[in-house]
Amino acid sequence: MAARLHRLSPYAIASAVVALSTAIAYAAEPYSELGDLAVVHLLAIVLVSTKFSLRVSVFACFLSILSLDFIFIPPRFEFAWTDAKGGLTFVAMMVVACVISSLTARLRREEQAARAAAVRAEALFQLHVDLSTASDLRQLVAITSRHLEHLLSARVSILLGTPEAWREHQVSSRDLQLAEKAWARRELTTDRTAKGTSVWAPLTGLSEELGVIGVLSDQEIANDQAHTFLLTACANQFAGAMERVRLANAVHRTELDAENERLRNSLLSAVSHDLKTPLTSIIAAGSALLSGKNHSVSVQRELMATIVGEGERLHRLINNLLSVARLDSPSVELRRTPESIEEIVAAGVSRVHSLAGDSRITVDCAPNLPFVSAEPQLLVQVLLNLIENARRYAGAEARIVIHAKASDGMVTIQVADDGPGIAEDERDKVFEKFYRGRSAGKSDGGVGLGLTICRAVIRAHGGRISIRASGGGGALVEFTLPVAKALPDDAFDGEDKLAS
Amino acid sequence: MTRHVVLVVEDDSVMLGVLTLALRNQGYQVVSAGTGRGALSEISLRTPDAMILDLGLPDIDGFEVASTVRDRHELPIIVLSARDAEEDQIRALDCGANDYVTKPFREGELMARVRAALRRPVPLSERRELCVAELRIDCLLRTVRVREKEVTLTPTEFDLLYFLAKNADQVVTHRQLLRAVWGARRGDDIHYLRVYMRSLRQKIEDDASLPRRIVTALGVGYRLVAVQDEEIA
Repeated sequence: MAARLHRLSPYAIASAVVALSTAIAYAAEPYSELGDLAVVHLLAIVLVSTKFSLRVSVFACFLSILSLDFIFIPPRFEFAWTDAKGGLTFVAMMVVACVISSLTARLRREEQAARAAAVRAEALFQLHVDLSTASDLRQLVAITSRHLEHLLSARVSILLGTPEAWREHQVSSRDLQLAEKAWARRELTTDRTAKGTSVWAPLTGLSEELGVIGVLSDQEIANDQAHTFLLTACANQFAGAMERVRLANAVHRTELDAENERLRNSLLSAVSHDLKTPLTSIIAAGSALLSGKNHSVSVQRELMATIVGEGERLHRLINNLLSVARLDSPSVELRRTPESIEEIVAAGVSRVHSLAGDSRITVDCAPNLPFVSAEPQLLVQVLLNLIENARRYAGAEARIVIHAKASDGMVTIQVADDGPGIAEDERDKVFEKFYRGRSAGKSDGGVGLGLTICRAVIRAHGGRISIRASGGGGALVEFTLPVAKALPDDAFDGEDKLAS
Repeated sequence: MTRHVVLVVEDDSVMLGVLTLALRNQGYQVVSAGTGRGALSEISLRTPDAMILDLGLPDIDGFEVASTVRDRHELPIIVLSARDAEEDQIRALDCGANDYVTKPFREGELMARVRAALRRPVPLSERRELCVAELRIDCLLRTVRVREKEVTLTPTEFDLLYFLAKNADQVVTHRQLLRAVWGARRGDDIHYLRVYMRSLRQKIEDDASLPRRIVTALGVGYRLVAVQDEEIA
């Protein structure tokens, strides 16, 4: 109902109100004086002027005066105004209409301004909240563009960096000029043509200009302060957020650099120490063989065995370092094939046999293990590192059991020894780079890389690795590997169908 | 008995010295070349019985040397290289090399491979019965005996073993085996190979968890061992 009323002309409504007041006054006339009737009309005028503009109020006022003069002031039903009676009333009515409607208009303006300000504040707050969750520049640009486009219903263009970098953006040459001007002068630039309006604001950072932000509209935008205010506020927020992201990135980079530096240092010292140790033995044993003429045969053999053994150790160390370097690179890609765990375990164990002669390793693989998708050399390296660890900490005479079984789409491999085991609080730390167990000797040739590589390899394959106590009290390292995709059933021809 | 002539192609003089010493010690006559071109001319001049080939040569790529030699001669080629990636090994074997030993190596291991390479009886593939270590393979009846005890193999298992036996003591790549047994359509499917290899090993190995007759060249292929060399083990 109210909505329908608003669609009517304000003049029609004002006329209707005056007509109503005239009717009421006419009905009340026998019991009232002229002053009372004027008050009824005054009420109508007050009513109209609280709702409508000054013009409508004045219009209503004139109607009322005419109605009073025509109907109620004698000579009745004539526009003749013979005496000045009622003149004061008319003037008062006019003044009331003017005062009330201008007051109302001001109130209405203020209310509108307050509402718009609240909307802007809310929008800016929302922008601030959204920007604070963004972690990179692209997100910042997207969020700011979305908010501004929504707020101003115009196209938004954000150009970052220096003007040289802006050419590739899809911006007209006229806009590019404006943008450059805004950037160079650090002030708002505006271009108004019949075709539309462009406003460019600089993005000012702490130490330098970060770029410009432009609002391009097809329609003409009135020179609206709120518009400018919003654009400036958004530009400032965006610049602040951008600085924050840049600082955060810089801090992150610095931390990474420091961490890398620390790793490099410990790698260098560990590597130089651990490469030198076997090298020293080789040189010492070799020179002893060269110079000593009266070594017995058994001494000679021992010296030669030292050279070979230490040489092998050097080889393993280098292989480990190469693997670390390879697995550390972000673009590492495994050369996976379906591999049988039995073959890999056998290859690892026979390598140990050829290096160390006799060793007490028992292999216990469940029958018909599924294949794993893996890079075989890396898995052998894992096994060699685990076996070497077991022999180093549990002694060369240690009994080592390798056990493999399958469950839930994973193959689980365990390497257990009967040595002293590993303390509970160290079980996670031993996987960290260059961490060495408390029981590790100073000069046993370990770099603290073995288990780190094991973990890196197993993780790269999508498996897990952990250490716990074995049943016999020694250490048990367990790792899992995902099973390779199975072959279709029809892969094997009739006679060759394998019983599984 | 005439002494076998072994050609060593190696550009590092220290390495060459060590190899020459070790080979002479075993009673071989050694000729050497420091470049690929030198190797090719030595082969046409002296017709060596076997060749040890380093891949990193100053003039011609080692792979190219191997395939050039293979195109013209039957002589066994043992590649000796510091490149230990599987791709390099597979490529060298596909180029015609008979064996691949990675540096650093043990003298005993290399000598065993040289002995195996020289031992190759030439028309092996035409004989009715193949004897490889404790295996006796009858090519007509398609039966296999291990230490005189007959084992029953499926046709595919037999084909696998037969192909390995024809190339005894050589590393046979996965692809070579797959093509020989299944033909080109299964050329890349190592999965099949592993399934059959597992069951074959269960039948002919004493301990399938530590195979000694068919050994794995990890990521490259398999080798049927003709002589259980103590030095390899």
